[in-house]
Amino acid sequence: MTDTPLETDDATALERAVTSTDANTLGRYWLGAGSLTLLVSLVAGVLVALERLDLGGAEVFGSADEIFQFWSAHRVGLVLLSIVPILVGLGTAVAPLQVGSDSIAFPRMAAFSFWTWLIGAGTTVTGFLIDGGLGTPGAGSQRQAVALTLVGLLMVIGGLLGATVSLLTTIVCGRVTGLTLARIPLFSWTLLVAGTFWLLTLPVLAANAVLAYVDLRGRTAVRFGAEDAIWEQLSWAFSHPQVYAFALPLVGIAFDIVPVSVRSRLATHDVVMVLTGMLGVVGFGAYAQSFFDTPGTPVMNEAIYVVDAFAAALVALALFGGLADTLRRGAANLGPGADNRPPAPMVLSVLAMLLLLAATIVGALRAVDPFDLLATSATGAQMTLTMGAAFVGAMAGTLWWGDRIVGRSTSQGLGLLAGLVAVVGVLLVGVADLLSGFMGQNDFTGASVVAAGSPDSGVDSLNLVALVGSVLLLVGAVGWIANGIRRLTGATASPDPWGGHTLEWAADPSTVEVTSDRPLLDLLETDTLETSGAAS
Amino acid sequence: MLTTGFKLWFGIFVAALGAAVFAGYTSGGDETGPISLAWKGTVGNHVSYGLLMTAAAVALGLALFSIAFRDGDAEAAAELLDTDDAPPGQRPVGGSWWPVFAALGVGATAVGVVVHPVVFVIGICAVAAVAVEWAITNWSEKLSGDESHNAEHREKLMRPVEIPVLGVAGIGVLVLAMSRVLLASSVNGAVIVATVVGVVVLGGAVLISRNPSLPRGVVQGALLVGFVAVIVAGIVTAATGEREFHQKGSDANATDTQSEDGH
Repeated sequence: MTDTPLETDDATALERAVTSTDANTLGRYWLGAGSLTLLVSLVAGVLVALERLDLGGAEVFGSADEIFQFWSAHRVGLVLLSIVPILVGLGTAVAPLQVGSDSIAFPRMAAFSFWTWLIGAGTTVTGFLIDGGLGTPGAGSQRQAVALTLVGLLMVIGGLLGATVSLLTTIVCGRVTGLTLARIPLFSWTLLVAGTFWLLTLPVLAANAVLAYVDLRGRTAVRFGAEDAIWEQLSWAFSHPQVYAFALPLVGIAFDIVPVSVRSRLATHDVVMVLTGMLGVVGFGAYAQSFFDTPGTPVMNEAIYVVDAFAAALVALALFGGLADTLRRGAANLGPGADNRPPAPMVLSVLAMLLLLAATIVGALRAVDPFDLLATSATGAQMTLTMGAAFVGAMAGTLWWGDRIVGRSTSQGLGLLAGLVAVVGVLLVGVADLLSGFMGQNDFTGASVVAAGSPDSGVDSLNLVALVGSVLLLVGAVGWIANGIRRLTGATASPDPWGGHTLEWAADPSTVEVTSDRPLLDLLETDTLETSGAAS
Repeated sequence: MLTTGFKLWFGIFVAALGAAVFAGYTSGGDETGPISLAWKGTVGNHVSYGLLMTAAAVALGLALFSIAFRDGDAEAAAELLDTDDAPPGQRPVGGSWWPVFAALGVGATAVGVVVHPVVFVIGICAVAAVAVEWAITNWSEKLSGDESHNAEHREKLMRPVEIPVLGVAGIGVLVLAMSRVLLASSVNGAVIVATVVGVVVLGGAVLISRNPSLPRGVVQGALLVGFVAVIVAGIVTAATGEREFHQKGSDANATDTQSEDGH
């Protein structure tokens, strides 16, 4: 039962697997477990999309409450059980390398966080499966099951918070000499910004879950009035603007990938740092709690909510402009006549940024009062586009850093194909749900045409498009997972397949002198100068 | 000089503060309420205002910490310690059982709150035990620079306690989980479950005894899978509840029977 001083002693593979505190291993655990729960939540999404084909009744599920349970399970699963854990996994594996740290900070706590999240995720999924979704609980065992889902959710939040603390401490306190915070790679920077907002908002979500739990289980005298509106308590975490804070690391992924891909130095490093900070600020969504609305003054109609929505679109546009500028500067190094073709991660990361931009535009449209989109399926469109962007960004990130993390290569072509299928899927769902929103379809359609908002007949075909999109997203996710599994048995990878600019690609970061945000590029340029000087 | 970390978190502080004041005034706040924490006047939507103000306060705290410790820069730490080289960062600590046991303890505590007080107590005990073990491990790691000596010292202290306690706890958890499964099953179902589990345990033991060369990992894996399966089944059945029991006859000591019997 003792701890092993090192992981290379005579411990069995199982013992090593269960007891590991290695950042790379934990990162892979997060990625693997997040992938599995991603499949579960996407299947729930497909089933709900299938149900929407006939708004007049419950065809796939037994009742409106069942539909609601799966509908909310899809959203909770996509955000807290899939995308955020996948980003945390990528961060856990990559951020220590990027800052030149031998280990993640508080490695045992990092492991504890993963296992807590995993048990919480299992409990949450179990709760959902035994009729404990976040709908309107009936009596008896269903209330018990909903309570189980809520405590599972609390463990999930606790696990994510612990992992975030480890990550942030690594980035702040684990940097090598010369690597100031202003010079850290942008993926680590966006993790720092996003992590700050996760730390600021996830405890609020936990408090909401505790309130809902107390309402559900407490005696009448201590009820806060939320037992029939559990989803309303929690919904702010799965819609505009909070989803931006969850998806923020995708910006860092794109800005780490694109400059290297186009062989160009990022000219706007400082500006991108400021803009990501601003996107984090506008992504602080804990204030938008519609559950606590006083009659006649819904928070989503308040000025702060509208300003927030438009600010997010402007910041995303500025970020995309920075990325486009980098692409323009390095255009000569790619495309026709150049030696290099655009690598798959670059294509996917640019598409992910476009999806994020589209999501913020939908968010802004949604906030325009005359459009009356707040309660419509435009809400789902905005969530799907944002989390879809984060997922495509994570796909790009795993293709980019996968060789470094696993030490084995995989098919870039299959990765690109899976990513493109996912992008098409996200776009179909997003556009179809947005248009359905304009036609008056409610975000949750229930089991009757009236509950669906009595929308125009055109939504039927749009719902079919959304179903096709959901299926494509699922297919893309399956392709991504298959490609990841294929990597485990792939050929041994080159330690630096891309000619990277930042420390994670260095064989020994402690020997690299850091004088800018691109230390390996500095070395390369110095060598080139010396070589050309010697030649002349 | 202002550090990057300070700029980030102070920027968040300013933005959150501004947003709180803006939200306060535009949602019905009046007089100086939104800029005086409602000391004079009101703040409009108090939930939004309160959360934004809290975020601002936390961000300000982070900003002050960040500038006080110079962003945790390696150069600043070396300067503080008056050394030429930066102090070593976090070193790898090797494998540890405590994280996974702590998580299991937390999981049992949380699930126990919902399904059964005994599970809750088991979880609390597990968390407390892991807390002690984890603390002893950390203490022993600082005894000397020799890792094996430290580990040996820890084992001498803790092994006499760990083995019997773990044995009792493991058996207790299994018995409790199985009892939940049997109580939730129908009368015939309980018999079938008990028989199947018995056959699996006995068959597995026979298999292992006849193949002494089986790798340790395989045996451990099989035991782990079985243990987790029983625990999960116990949790699920505890959550769904016991089958209905009906008293047979009016006597207080009468035998329980089941509704499906039709008596």
